[in-house]
Amino acid sequence: MTTNATKLKALTENIETIIRGKPQEVKYVVTALLARGHILLEDNPGAGKTVLAKTLAQSISEGSVEFQSTNGGVAFKRIQFTPDLLPMDLIGSHIFDESKKDFVFKKGPLFTHVLLADEINRASPKVQSALLECMAENQISSGDATFQLDPFFFTIATQNPIEMEGTYPLPAAQLDRFYMKISFGYVSEEVEFDIYTNYLTIGNGKSTVKQVLTYSDIIHLQQEAENVYVHPEIIKGVVRLVQSTRHHPEIALGCSTRGGITFIKCLKAWALVNQRDYVIEDDMRALAQPVMHHRLIFRNREASRTALQQLVDAEVNKLAKLGIQGKK
Amino acid sequence: MAVGSKSDRLQQLLIRLAVVVLPTIVIGYITLRFLNFSYTSLNTGLFSQTIYFSLGLVAAYVLYYYGARWVVTFFLLWIAYWLFEKVINRLPGEFDVFYTTARFQLYSTLFIFGWVFGFLLVRIKWAYIILFAVLSIVTLVSISDTIDLSLSYILIHIFPVTVYGLYMYFLSPLLAERIELDKKKSVKFLLRVVLFVVLVMLAFVIAESLLKGNVKAVEKELAARGAKGDKDGSQKDKDNYDDRDGLMDKTDDGYRLKDTMRVTSKMSQSDKLMFCSKLDNYFPDGSPAPIYFVYHYLTRYDPVKETFTRDINVPSLDEITVDPTALPMYYSYTDTSMIRKSMASKLRKVVEAQVYLSENTWKHSVLGPASVFSIQTIPVEKDFQKTFIQGYKIVSFTSELNNAYFVYNISASPTLEPLQEQRHDELRSVKSYEKTNQEFLDYYTKMPTGGIYDSIAKLAFSLTPKGSKPVDKVIAVRDFFLKRNENGKRIFRYTLKAGAVDDPNIPSSKMLYNFLFKTHAGYCTYYAGASLFMLRALGVPTRFTTGFATINRSDKNKGWYWFYASQAHAWTQVYFPGYGWLDFDMTIGNEDQQSAPKPDGTPPLPPPEPWLVINGKAENVNNSSKSLTVSFDQLIYFNTPHQMSRSFTRPVDASLCRVLYDKRDTTFAAIQPGDSMIIVSYKDEAKKIPTPRAGVSIENQVNNFPSPIIADEIHIRVKEKDKKKEGAGKKAKPAEEKKMSWQEIIWLAGKVLIGLLIFVLLLPVLYLLYCLLRISMAGNSTTKANHVYRAALYRFHMAGLEREDETPLEYAQDKVDPTLSAGFEEFMRVYLRLKYANGNLRDGDVETINRFAKNIGSSIRKKMGIPKMILNYFNVLRASRYIQPTSKTDYENQLL
Repeated sequence: MTTNATKLKALTENIETIIRGKPQEVKYVVTALLARGHILLEDNPGAGKTVLAKTLAQSISEGSVEFQSTNGGVAFKRIQFTPDLLPMDLIGSHIFDESKKDFVFKKGPLFTHVLLADEINRASPKVQSALLECMAENQISSGDATFQLDPFFFTIATQNPIEMEGTYPLPAAQLDRFYMKISFGYVSEEVEFDIYTNYLTIGNGKSTVKQVLTYSDIIHLQQEAENVYVHPEIIKGVVRLVQSTRHHPEIALGCSTRGGITFIKCLKAWALVNQRDYVIEDDMRALAQPVMHHRLIFRNREASRTALQQLVDAEVNKLAKLGIQGKK
Repeated sequence: MAVGSKSDRLQQLLIRLAVVVLPTIVIGYITLRFLNFSYTSLNTGLFSQTIYFSLGLVAAYVLYYYGARWVVTFFLLWIAYWLFEKVINRLPGEFDVFYTTARFQLYSTLFIFGWVFGFLLVRIKWAYIILFAVLSIVTLVSISDTIDLSLSYILIHIFPVTVYGLYMYFLSPLLAERIELDKKKSVKFLLRVVLFVVLVMLAFVIAESLLKGNVKAVEKELAARGAKGDKDGSQKDKDNYDDRDGLMDKTDDGYRLKDTMRVTSKMSQSDKLMFCSKLDNYFPDGSPAPIYFVYHYLTRYDPVKETFTRDINVPSLDEITVDPTALPMYYSYTDTSMIRKSMASKLRKVVEAQVYLSENTWKHSVLGPASVFSIQTIPVEKDFQKTFIQGYKIVSFTSELNNAYFVYNISASPTLEPLQEQRHDELRSVKSYEKTNQEFLDYYTKMPTGGIYDSIAKLAFSLTPKGSKPVDKVIAVRDFFLKRNENGKRIFRYTLKAGAVDDPNIPSSKMLYNFLFKTHAGYCTYYAGASLFMLRALGVPTRFTTGFATINRSDKNKGWYWFYASQAHAWTQVYFPGYGWLDFDMTIGNEDQQSAPKPDGTPPLPPPEPWLVINGKAENVNNSSKSLTVSFDQLIYFNTPHQMSRSFTRPVDASLCRVLYDKRDTTFAAIQPGDSMIIVSYKDEAKKIPTPRAGVSIENQVNNFPSPIIADEIHIRVKEKDKKKEGAGKKAKPAEEKKMSWQEIIWLAGKVLIGLLIFVLLLPVLYLLYCLLRISMAGNSTTKANHVYRAALYRFHMAGLEREDETPLEYAQDKVDPTLSAGFEEFMRVYLRLKYANGNLRDGDVETINRFAKNIGSSIRKKMGIPKMILNYFNVLRASRYIQPTSKTDYENQLL
């Protein structure tokens, strides 16, 4: 087993010691991280979103010196989005320094490695777009100054599917910025019993999370993910899949080219998370829902449930029918 | 079926009704049409049949489409039936009749058929296969009953069902899902359907034209009862006489009275001259006495097919069986056993008749007054050869009581009644059939029992007081048909369109029943059939007789009669001990319509009589002097045939002679040395004709013949090879042996089907062998991995582990390995790496591939055991799922 594989295994396993019974979701989060993207978790309160983000941050040591966290891991910040939140609450603002007789920029919570944007749809569009600009450009503009964010910058946004009153649902263009959107769901009976018996201390802040990876490991893994081999047939499959979403009668808005690019990036990262340096059809199937579903607008609820899955299944079947290149 | 909004479902239903139900109704209509053609028994209106079928189909389709349950709908149907019954009982009259008749049964059967079809179409994905099979079988059965069976006929009938089957097959993947009403797509869809139908039609036309050569060959085999084999247009268009339902069949050799007869809805008639005859039967005052001309006796009633048919095992049948065309000119055939078999002694006489057949008439059976016992072929007078092409002289042993004036139905002319009463008085001497042979009696009084036949019998008993004499029974039946209603109008009447009042076709027995009890209208077959049953029920031996009514008497030529196709007739003959079989014509004349007498078609002169007929061979032919020498050992001398002990050679003077070849005039030059020929010399005062001398041997008499013999006619006999040539186009053989029964056709179709079935059953095994072969032939390990992968997928599939929507890896992990532990996952990892990483083989990969290749079989065997493993490969349905997964995700496939 290569060192990359060992490290990734260590990371996922480490997170899984805290986030019980959700290996797939943990993998998704790590994949988004390695693909240099951001992830949107949509779930009911209390499913473990915050803990996941925190654990991820805590598992990685030696953040860049600029914003060191208290416990030695990479910096982790959490913002609770509310309707009265203002952009400057996120990015910081220029304040007058009496001693220097000048305006200095006071950095906001965005200057971090792992950002948990809680209930993102409760904030006003102004705030949302400020956040999304940072996510897309990895930089912050305030006044005439532009600040580069850390290359590590990783946002885990959450969204509450219930209590939609007084919220500002994210427009399609902004949803597109998230590489993935996943929902956690509840755990099984056994796992829940396990949690109640052994992990009652999870939320109390006194974490017992080991630091298994370093900051540079992540940067390295992100580069590794880029090097994962994608077979032309897989790329063709993705092209066909993206195209078919645009022509499906039940889908009003198909997948964009950016969506396709993201999909391939995520495929690579996902393959790496699964300890492979090549992409297979299973990856397409695993990632289609989290990566593509939130980019599409369906005509009805029925289609929203089945249409994408049908398209993916058809593509996967085509790939499965294919022999080894050049052989029939 | 897509679960959508209400209006969406409705829309889908409407589309389905259009694309599935409508074609099914159309094919139902076509099939019913064929059935109606073949089975007169259906006979209740094609349109209403289709309506009832469609009602059932649509009702079931809609109900089951909206998710109705089988049990619930069964109760619904039952309640409907119950209500219907209640209503019917309250409302007498029209409903009552409908309810009790066969029509109700037929309609309800069709309704149920439609219902079941509808159910299948909604609930079962491959229902179209069942429908296709059922419809094909129905079509096949309906075809097989056809007389003019030819390959193109079969093709034409099978064609619609095939198109339907293909159409449904083509449509079926689409039906599994929602059908889109996208404008662009529906146009595309329509185009495809149209294109499909056009292609199928094109294929059909091409197949037919390509097969044409074969068709002829096959037709020859299939063609039944001398049906027309070659389909050259000239003959087809020559006349449009189609007597499908009538008394006659059309053959190459003219129209022929049917061997079997059943009552049908309507009869068509033509105005063709069939034959003419000189009947040497006169009243004492010298005026001609006509007699009906008999063709066949249909002695047996087949209760299954409901037809009157000829029979072989008849106790003493006085019907001469000889093919007149097979007799050489002037040769005769005599079977005196006919005299005995006519079982008559009283009031009999010998009657001679000459019969000249036109080309419209079937020439291979003898036509003549009852109990023909001798026949001699005679030539046709030269001037009439265009009209008549075959002539023969017959001698009959005829009853004086069979004089047509005794036989005619008195409805035509009441003045006949006193005359006929004379015959009845004579016959009243027959009191019963006590002394008649029991076997004979049983045979000729046999009739089926039950239902309709019983009611006919009951009617017959009601007409006659107990202990009536046989002839009074016959009179009672005759009078029954002659009854008049209170307005003085006859209750029974004559019509060619019997039963056409409302329902064009029902089984014969039902038709007879309707004829007797309801419509009271029919043609001769009805009257003859009904009276046959009534008389047989009363214990009177009766037989169904077909032939020609002798009506048109020539005024120019004494004793001559001529016969048109419309005189083809059916009547009954009743047996009276001592008197033999006597004709009784029960058919009521057509009161409303009197057909104009047909023009006199008789030749003015009887042909000259020959004194000498030589059957010999031409030796030397001299064309300049028109003379030849002929060697012979057979001759007819003053109507007496002789076979001589040795052969003679005599010169023949043919200078004034007619030369004929195959009944057509030709020239003397046509005679080749070695030709067989018949040389005829007429009685002529100018010739020195030696009269036969008693007691002198024929050989010695021949020596006294004039030399040369002056020939008047030379008939060159048709050469063998010419006969063969003709045989290809014409069918001279009687058709009984050739008719292919529907059982044979089904058996043939069955054999083909079984062959196909075995082939289909073997396909999965063959594919397995192919897979294994490919593995062993694989050149390198990558190729091998590829083939192993294919084989593994196939073999695990056939072992019952079907991959559905999983990826192959998931399939290996979640399905195969947990059950079979074949190491599939390990192999899959290697395989996927080879496939997607463009990777080369790593250490251990080859071993993994080989290990797994061996493991596939053994792991399945361990789990299931060898018998089950082998049996699995005969699961064709499963194999078909391997080719085309039933997965609902095949979105692209549905888009056509």
